[in-house]
Amino acid sequence: MAVESQVKSMMPAQTKARRAGYRLLRSANTPLVLIAIFAMWEIGVRLGHVPSYVLPPPSAIIFRIVHDWRLVLVQTWVTSIEVLIGFGLSIVISIPLAAVLFQWRWLEESMYPLLVASQTIPKVAIAPLMVVWFGFGLAPKVLIAFLICFFPIVVDSLIGFRSVPKEVMWLARSTGASKWNTFLKIQIPGALPSIFAGIKVASTLAVVGAVVGEFVGSDTGLGYQLIVANGTIDVQLSFAIIIVLSILGIVLFAFVELAERLLLPWHISQRRVSRANRSRA
Amino acid sequence: MAHLATARQQGEQESSIDPMSLALDISHVSMVYETGTGYVPALDDISFSVETGEFLAILGPSGCGKSTLLALISGLEFPTEGSVKVAYRPVSRPVTDVGIVFQTDVLLDWRRVLGNVLLQIELRGGDAAAFETRARELLRMAGLFGFEQKYPYELSGGMRQRVAICRALIHDPPLLLMDEPFGALDALTREKMVLELHRIWYETRKSVVFVTHDIQEAVFLADRVLVMTARPGQIAEIARIDIPHPRTPATRSSPEFIAMASHLRELFTNAGVL
Repeated sequence: MAVESQVKSMMPAQTKARRAGYRLLRSANTPLVLIAIFAMWEIGVRLGHVPSYVLPPPSAIIFRIVHDWRLVLVQTWVTSIEVLIGFGLSIVISIPLAAVLFQWRWLEESMYPLLVASQTIPKVAIAPLMVVWFGFGLAPKVLIAFLICFFPIVVDSLIGFRSVPKEVMWLARSTGASKWNTFLKIQIPGALPSIFAGIKVASTLAVVGAVVGEFVGSDTGLGYQLIVANGTIDVQLSFAIIIVLSILGIVLFAFVELAERLLLPWHISQRRVSRANRSRA
Repeated sequence: MAHLATARQQGEQESSIDPMSLALDISHVSMVYETGTGYVPALDDISFSVETGEFLAILGPSGCGKSTLLALISGLEFPTEGSVKVAYRPVSRPVTDVGIVFQTDVLLDWRRVLGNVLLQIELRGGDAAAFETRARELLRMAGLFGFEQKYPYELSGGMRQRVAICRALIHDPPLLLMDEPFGALDALTREKMVLELHRIWYETRKSVVFVTHDIQEAVFLADRVLVMTARPGQIAEIARIDIPHPRTPATRSSPEFIAMASHLRELFTNAGVL
């Protein structure tokens, strides 16, 4: 037992240590890299006498966000609501849809090309239609965010459901388990890592969807404000909004990652457990 | 049960089998697969049976239909000709009175060790809580005491396979099917697992069908070794291993063991496998 576990744990322990070190380095690096980029930007703009209406220095952008905090906050709130509802809807609808498609092969075969087709249509192209059908309110933005998020979740969920090894299915059949029980106990949890991959991709797209909706027809939201800022060549405000938008996307992504970490502590991407407790073997 | 090994006679195996205690009976089974290019015979006129409490090893090169045979026994596939009976019942759908161990452990990554063992019960619609004591007992027997709450990724390959064996035993199946269960392990771990399996079998006396391509493994574990040749899978010989139980590491260097191993090796040499 002792020999076996020692032999087995030596190699992974090294890679693990390297990976942990790399992760630490990386997490410390991100703010450093950001600061470096902003510093170079600031210095370059000031030394090169770049006019502020072409490229404002980061200090001015941050000042602008602080100065107009009330406007930024209100517009961020509007966009966030659109993003959250659209994103939430896509999760609630896509996963069960994938489950249904998975259960009935013929349905999947007939639906899949339609799903792909729906994804190839640029959302910008149908955004004006959404305005015609649903007006200038919340609905068209939510719908566009939903449409853009929907596809990666469905596709990745389907891949997840299908990725259960055939031996596991064989095992399930040897227990006489019902289709439903097998789905519940094996296929759903087995698909979760894949489903989360889809949700992560969708989380970054959700913001894009909402902003596209706001571009086309809106009188509130960060997308609307961006159009206004561009119209008046208020480049500082444009940059301020772009930064807020990216922060919004990052926060959403971070929440999905947190949920993943809590729900899938066993998954390879989340393993943090030290190998030290292996030596008990 | 312990007297079985010594009471067995050399010679034609059918005559020495008590017909009242067959765990498995396969008679004149042939299997032909239909592919795009024609018919591929996988098994050709296979007949053998397994007594209750007997350890039967199926030894053969890859492609000899060993795994097909297991699929037939577990009712996932059905023979083109012949009959398969498990506990005297003709197999017509997936057999549930078995425990299956695969080459890979196929543990569910999201379940802890205990949960993986109890999966068997949950899938059968049983009360998992009622089986917890038994699961812990099995895990202790398999040398996994203290690992009940670990995730599979925290375990070594050998330990994972032991969990898989516990999962195959938790519902107390009369028949255990093992498809090259140690094939993915390194040589040292493998030898150790063979010893462990022998001990577990010696204590539980399950009927076992153990598929392998390892001669030493087959001779060490089995009461009888069914030697198969490939394309189509045919039985070359059914060899009785008259080495008393329990077998120990020293068994491997005993004259009977060496003689039997070289005899089986010769069969493969003659068949052109080696």
